[in-house]
Amino acid sequence: MKLSELKNLTLTQTAALLDVDTHSMALERFKKLGLPSKKSEEYRYFHIEKLLEEEYQRLNYIPRPIQEAEKVVIVDGIVTHAPKGMRIYYEQYEAIDSEHFDPLYYLSHLLSPHVIRIDLDGDADIEIEHHYTQSNALIHYRIVLLNQTNRHATVFESFHEEEISNTLVLYGYDVLVAPDSTLRILKNQHMQGNRYAMVASHRIHLKERANAVIQSFDLGGDMGLQLIKIELERYAHIDAGHLLYLNEHAQRGTVSKIIHQGEHSISHQEAKNILDGDARGIFDALIKVEHAAKYTKAYQNSKAILLHEKAYMVAKPQLEIYIDELEASHGSTTGQLDEKQLFYLRSRGIEYMEARKMLVIAFANTLIEQVKDHRHQEIIKDSFEKTFYAAQETADS
Amino acid sequence: MKTLEIKNIHAKIGEKEILKGLNLELEPGKVHAIMGPNGAGKSTLSKTIVGHYDVEVTEGDILYKNKSILEMEPEERALEGIFLSFQHPVEIPGVNNAYFLRTALNAKRKHEGKEELNAAEFLREMKKHLEMLGMKADMISRSLNEGFSGGEKKRNEILQMLILEPEIIILDEIDSGLDIDALRAVSEGINMMKDGKRSFLVITHYSRILDYIEPDYIHVLKEGRIIKTAGPELVAKLEEEGYESIIEEAQ
Repeated sequence: MKLSELKNLTLTQTAALLDVDTHSMALERFKKLGLPSKKSEEYRYFHIEKLLEEEYQRLNYIPRPIQEAEKVVIVDGIVTHAPKGMRIYYEQYEAIDSEHFDPLYYLSHLLSPHVIRIDLDGDADIEIEHHYTQSNALIHYRIVLLNQTNRHATVFESFHEEEISNTLVLYGYDVLVAPDSTLRILKNQHMQGNRYAMVASHRIHLKERANAVIQSFDLGGDMGLQLIKIELERYAHIDAGHLLYLNEHAQRGTVSKIIHQGEHSISHQEAKNILDGDARGIFDALIKVEHAAKYTKAYQNSKAILLHEKAYMVAKPQLEIYIDELEASHGSTTGQLDEKQLFYLRSRGIEYMEARKMLVIAFANTLIEQVKDHRHQEIIKDSFEKTFYAAQETADS
Repeated sequence: MKTLEIKNIHAKIGEKEILKGLNLELEPGKVHAIMGPNGAGKSTLSKTIVGHYDVEVTEGDILYKNKSILEMEPEERALEGIFLSFQHPVEIPGVNNAYFLRTALNAKRKHEGKEELNAAEFLREMKKHLEMLGMKADMISRSLNEGFSGGEKKRNEILQMLILEPEIIILDEIDSGLDIDALRAVSEGINMMKDGKRSFLVITHYSRILDYIEPDYIHVLKEGRIIKTAGPELVAKLEEEGYESIIEEAQ
């Protein structure tokens, strides 16, 4: 199917094509927001139309028996492995956000009426591996994550693809972070070449006094966009960090809306972007502070280093504030490697290319070292260095 | 035999000519102090020797071991044994100090055809220097110069000097921002490097550092030229009379 075919259909025709109820809220919202195009605010800097114009094969989503393993493994949208005793279900999801800004959030729900629900029991520490094996395919699935009150859970996700090409992945999380709990979600994605494009549309809701840490490490090539809506109730706290390292013709980034709904809520969002080749990085992030969110603290920052004259960074940090009683700041810088730092390293006998690599890795490390778990930190550092060195070798040759 | 010969150097930063025909020869095993009023060109001289990107040499030459270094990259000059202790060492968040020091040392060892040191060998090597400089062990596990006090940054410069064992050591305002204890520790590190072969170029505003590092020669720099060279007795005269009398005398 071509997703662009949905563009001019009526609601009834869309319902028929997607095989969904004409009265579904998701369908109404999808039709209201419309299929994204370059005119859509959220997709203005991302060539979504190119992806929607492609012809994709649709896959059959038939759940299989889940085998026991140390990690949760999801192959082309189907759970194949999970740790013993972990509660994973396929179920119809009733709590779809009725005010998400992203039409593809609704489309992915419409395409995937049965979500993968994962209950994080106790102080769970789980790994989720996403595998993609089909070329020219539309792979779509949604995950619902639920943790427990007073518990501290961690989810580390990684992405693996076989020799595939021209596939589009539409996936995303609906996450409800329970009161007085902490949830960490770490995303480590590294990719070279034109394997698959991804649009990941998430909704994360933090209940009262909940804490969440969302860290994404997005490295390599091709097209990818994560669209995140985060809502904070009273005394909720979110730390969001995004590292982007892009090369060649990559076009990737984050579009986010953090909405402070309750008083004394805190958000801290930091983006570090390293762009090489003629890559385009996107950080289009809004923090909205609603009337009820008195005494909010909201901080947002984006820094970008351009390693090539053709690299391009779109950084749009924005604040939308309806109250006076708050602390807020936002900022963005884009530049080259610091000449003084480069010279300092060279003056100690470290050759130019090596000094440059040290500074790029150092820039990335300032975010990677914020990962609490040392083991995860090492995996991400390793991914980054491998991706970076591979790209440098390609560029050098 | 001279280790470094600066011959009629003219150098500019931007459009402004700072060094205007400067001549200076460094002898092996000797401490040369460069003194002079603000804006005389003292820091530009050190930058010129190490190949700083700010400086454009328009005339003259700098010979090191009878070979011109003007076409050499900064890292080549460093590997050949020229070391500058910066007046304001930069902070580099994310670059671990120990990793940086080992990378620099191994670059030098590789250049000299020696085997590179692994992390354990390197740490053993470093420990003795840290103790001598009164540096806390955690300073090497922190990011390079990040959040260091002025004194800690200068000690870290001296630590690099001790590890890299350069042949020409340029100390640009090494005493600025140091309290007495730090000044003593830093000076001790510098004096340890005196082996009768290495040359030192101590650039300073004040004579205080020269109480700790005894100079062999004092050079007074004014408007991009050396206007007077004398023995250490000149320090007392400068202290007493200031630069004015020397400048008048030179004119």
